[in-house]
Amino acid sequence: MIIAGNILMVIGGVFLLLGGFGVLRMPDVFNRIQAGTKATTLGAFSLILGVGFVHPQWLLKLILIIVFIAITNPVGSSVLARAAYKKGAYQYKKEGEERSEVK
Amino acid sequence: MKQIVSILLVAAIGILIFSALYFSDETLKFNEYGNVNLDDRVSEKYIDKSVNGNTEEIIFGETQNAESGSANMVTSVVVNYRSFDTLGEVTVLFVSALGVGLLLNGKRKRKNLKDAPNFILKQGARIIFGIMVVFGVYMFIHGHITPGGGFPGGAIIAASILLLYLSDDEFRVKLSAAKAVESTAGSLYVIVGLLGIVLAGYFLQNFLPTGTVGEVISSGVIPIVYMLIGLKVGSELSSVIDGFLTEEVEG
Repeated sequence: MIIAGNILMVIGGVFLLLGGFGVLRMPDVFNRIQAGTKATTLGAFSLILGVGFVHPQWLLKLILIIVFIAITNPVGSSVLARAAYKKGAYQYKKEGEERSEVK
Repeated sequence: MKQIVSILLVAAIGILIFSALYFSDETLKFNEYGNVNLDDRVSEKYIDKSVNGNTEEIIFGETQNAESGSANMVTSVVVNYRSFDTLGEVTVLFVSALGVGLLLNGKRKRKNLKDAPNFILKQGARIIFGIMVVFGVYMFIHGHITPGGGFPGGAIIAASILLLYLSDDEFRVKLSAAKAVESTAGSLYVIVGLLGIVLAGYFLQNFLPTGTVGEVISSGVIPIVYMLIGLKVGSELSSVIDGFLTEEVEG
């Protein structure tokens, strides 16, 4: 149980690190939001779940935190991306690609 | 009707204070001018206390009838020892909300948001709103046990109201209800203080039994006062938010 928890925590840490790199390295704001949200959502999930395996008495509270992150993180990133699009933020694209329309 | 009720209220409070100051028993009686024993006063007591006072260990969940009964040190200072100061802080917030209300008064309607909020934001805000309100209420009910208290709890509730304002073009707080909650909570805080004079001798004195450290129902009037502060701050900030996100109707 403790070993599984530790492995999950390491996986979570690696994903958070990759998310950080993504925020630094991606070319425009939309790609950065993607890296910052998707990677950190998964990273935070497995990190918190790993803590829950190591300390089973906290598991219920940690699952509540996971549910909260699962609700807020996608909504927040969607709103940010939409605002950036409406504001006409710079979009990185290759030759011959079109802008897609967003409602 | 309103005038009669307010006159009766003022008269009742006057009788309460007067009887508490001059007709209560000897220990609680207000001293005449010049006859006060300064050694009984707060500063002297707490300076001595740190040196040779009660130094036994306090155990979470076991110790009974501790002095303030609050496991959270900050809360026991803010709402017990220096509660009068907190009453002043609440008044400052009230005056600033009053100023906003005076500047932005009249018949008002919602400002149109630049971009209509989309489906994801609307539904997400609806789900998060409930969680945020519950967390805010938890924050001020547990103010005497865990970090937090009335002010952050009220701010969290107001933030959830702001979220609804930003995610819904039509939503408005019922201002009359917010004002009713605010004024009721504010007056109840003062009434708790006056009950302190009557029952324990000093304004805002903790007159209820303090119970076991670390339980929800413990530490006397602290949870009651923090609940009142939380409701007051939440409704005040909500009406301020409403003032900023609406515009006057012309004509």
